[in-house]
Amino acid sequence: MEKVLIAFAAALAVGLPALATAWAQSRIGAAGAGTLAEKPELTGAIIILVAIPETMVILGFVVAAMILLML
Amino acid sequence: MIIRMAKVEIVGPKQDLLSTLDLLHNRGIFQPDPQLMERVELAEGEQLQTLVLDENELRERSFFQDMQERVTNLLELLPEVNNGISPLQPLPVMGLLDELVDQHLATTRDQVRILNECRRNAEDLQRDLSFWEALEPLLEDLPKNSNLELFGVTIRDSRQLHNLDCLLQERTQGRCYISSTTAADGTLIGLIATDSGMADGLREALTSERVPELSLPEELADLPLPQRITALHDQLKAQQDKCNQLEVRLMDMSHRWRPIYRRALAWLDERLALYRATATAYTTRLCFIIQGWMANDQVDKLHDDLNRSFSGRVVLEQQAILEEDLDQVPVMLRNPGYFAPFEIMSRLLPLPKYSSYDPTPLIGLFFPVLFGMILGDIGYGMILIVLAFFLARHFPERTLASDIGKILGIAALYTLVFGVLYGEFLGDLGETWLGLHPVWFNRGKAVVPMIVFSLTVGIVHILLGMTLGALTELRRHQPRKALVKLAMLVAVILMVLSLVGWFYPQSWLSTGPLLIGVGILMPILIAAEGLLAPLELLKTMGNIISYVRIMAIGFSSILLAMVANRLGGMTGDIMVGILVGGTLHAFNLLLGVFAPTVHSLRLHYVEFFSKFLDLGGRRFEPWQKRHP
Repeated sequence: MEKVLIAFAAALAVGLPALATAWAQSRIGAAGAGTLAEKPELTGAIIILVAIPETMVILGFVVAAMILLML
Repeated sequence: MIIRMAKVEIVGPKQDLLSTLDLLHNRGIFQPDPQLMERVELAEGEQLQTLVLDENELRERSFFQDMQERVTNLLELLPEVNNGISPLQPLPVMGLLDELVDQHLATTRDQVRILNECRRNAEDLQRDLSFWEALEPLLEDLPKNSNLELFGVTIRDSRQLHNLDCLLQERTQGRCYISSTTAADGTLIGLIATDSGMADGLREALTSERVPELSLPEELADLPLPQRITALHDQLKAQQDKCNQLEVRLMDMSHRWRPIYRRALAWLDERLALYRATATAYTTRLCFIIQGWMANDQVDKLHDDLNRSFSGRVVLEQQAILEEDLDQVPVMLRNPGYFAPFEIMSRLLPLPKYSSYDPTPLIGLFFPVLFGMILGDIGYGMILIVLAFFLARHFPERTLASDIGKILGIAALYTLVFGVLYGEFLGDLGETWLGLHPVWFNRGKAVVPMIVFSLTVGIVHILLGMTLGALTELRRHQPRKALVKLAMLVAVILMVLSLVGWFYPQSWLSTGPLLIGVGILMPILIAAEGLLAPLELLKTMGNIISYVRIMAIGFSSILLAMVANRLGGMTGDIMVGILVGGTLHAFNLLLGVFAPTVHSLRLHYVEFFSKFLDLGGRRFEPWQKRHP
C-alpha cells in the first residue's frame, strides 16, 4: 500500500505541473503565433516565452525523482 | 565578437559638404549621429545650426524629386523584364530624360489603360461564351418555334432552380420551359423558353426573385443563339488580338527603355539620399561639422581618403567615447570561422549593447556541448554527421542551410562523444548487439548521478554568467554594481555548497557556517539591490535546477529508443522489426534534434544570458550606396 501511495505521489508531482505547463504553453503559444504573424523578428523572444513554463514540469520531475528515490 | 567602434568628427568648409557626403556615401563605412552634436563645444560667438540649402540646391532637389516620382510611375507601368541596368551616366542626359519621361509616361498610360479595357472585355466575353456554349445543347430539347423567347440565367443552387421553376410555371400558366446545366467554371445556369407575349412578365418575375439574367452585348441580343455564339467567338478573338498587340508594344518599350530608366532612378535615389544626409550635418558661419560612428580599424583609411580628396581642407578627428555615449554606440558583430554559423542563433535575440558581449561565441562554445549531453548516442550522432555532410555538399555558399549543416555537424560530434561516454548506440542496441558498455555511466539506469551531473553543468554555466555580469559592470565603469554582482556570486556559491553539504554530508563541509555566510551577505545585497535581492538569489537557484532538463530530456530520449528496440524485437519478423524499430528511431531522432536545440537555446537565452547580457543595442547602419 505504501508503495502505491509513493508512486501516486510521484505521479501527482510530475502530472500536475505537466498539466499546468501544457495550459500555460497553449496560451503563450497561441498569443505567440499571433505575434509572429505581425512581427517575425520576435521569433527568439517567442521561443523563450513558450519554453519558460517548462521549468514547472522539470521541477515536478525532480520532486517525483526525489520521492521515488529517497522514500 | 562586437567590433570596436570609433566616434569621429568630420569638419570642413561649407562648400565641400556635398562632396564630403558623397565620399562618405561611396565608402559606406560611416554612420552619422546628429545626437552627438548636442555636446559639441564651440568658440565664443560661433553658433551651430542645421544646414540650410541655398536657392539653387533647393531647385535642384525639387527637380530631382519630381523626376524620381515620374520615373517611378513609368517603371511601375512598364512590364517587368530581366534586362539589367544600363551603364549610362544619367546626369549629362538628365534634361533629355526630363522631356522623354513625360512623353513615355503619357503613351504608356494610354496603352496600359486600353490594354486593361481590352482584358476586361475579353474576360466578359469569355464568360458569356462559356455560358451560352453550355446552354446550346439545351436548345435541342426545345420545339422549333420561332415565337419562343429565350433567357439565360445564373442560378445559385438546385433548390433555387426548383423554386424558380414553380414560380415561372405559376406566372405563365405552364407556358414556360426551364432546363439547366453547369458551365465550365462550375456555375449553375439555366435556359428559360417562353412565348414572346409572356417575356415581360417573366422578366419581372426574375427581377423580383433576384435571378440575374446572362448579360450580352446589345448588338448580339437580337441574334439567334447559334449566331450569337459565333459572334461572341469573333469578338473574343478580336479583343485577344488587340491585347496581344498592346502587350508586344509595351514589352518592346520595356526592353528598350527600362534599363535606362532604372539606371536613372538608381542615380536619383542616391542623389536625393545625399540631400537627405545633409540634415545630419551642422554648420557654423564657414564650416560644416558631421559627427558619427565607424569601425575603429577603418578610421585611418578614411582619414587618408579625406586628406587625398580635399587636400587637407576636410579634417577627421577621432574622439574619446564617453561614459554617456556608451548606450548610443552602434553595434556591429563579426564572427569569423567556427563561430560564424552560430550567428543564426544569436540573431534571434535583440542586439547586445556596445558595452556588453556578443552572445555568438558563447553559443558556439556551449550549445553543441549541451546538445551532445542531451542526445548522446553514437547511432544518432553518425546519422546527424551524414546529414550535416549532405547539407555542406549541397550548399557550399554561406546560406541558412549551410549554417544549419555546420552547427549540426559540430553538435553531432559532441553527440558521438557523449554517446561513447554513455555507451549508447540507438539506445540499448549497442549493448545488446555489439557488447558496448558505458565509459562513464549508463544514463538509462543512473538517474541520480545524471541529475547531479546536469546540476553541476548548470552551476558552472550560471557562475560563468554571473562572473561575466560583474565584468560587464566593470567595463561600464560601474564598480559598485560589479561588487554587488560579485557578492551575489559568492552568495550563490555558499548556497550551492550548503545544499551539497545537506545532501552529501562531508566532514569538511559544514552547512551551518555556509548559511551564516549567506545571512551576512543578504543585508548587503538588500541594501544595494533592494528587497528583490533574496528573490534574485532564489531565482538563480531555480535557474541552476532548470539544467536538470539535460538529464530529463536525455532520459526520455533513451527510453523511447529502448521502446523502439523492444517493439522491433517483439514482431518476430526481421523485416517488420526493422520497419517498426526504424520508424520509431526516426521519430526519436526527429524529437532528439528538435528538443535539445530548443532546450539548449532556452538554457542560454533565459538562464545564462540573463546573468550578464545587456540587450537593446543599436545596429550599425552606415551610409552606403544601395546601387553599386
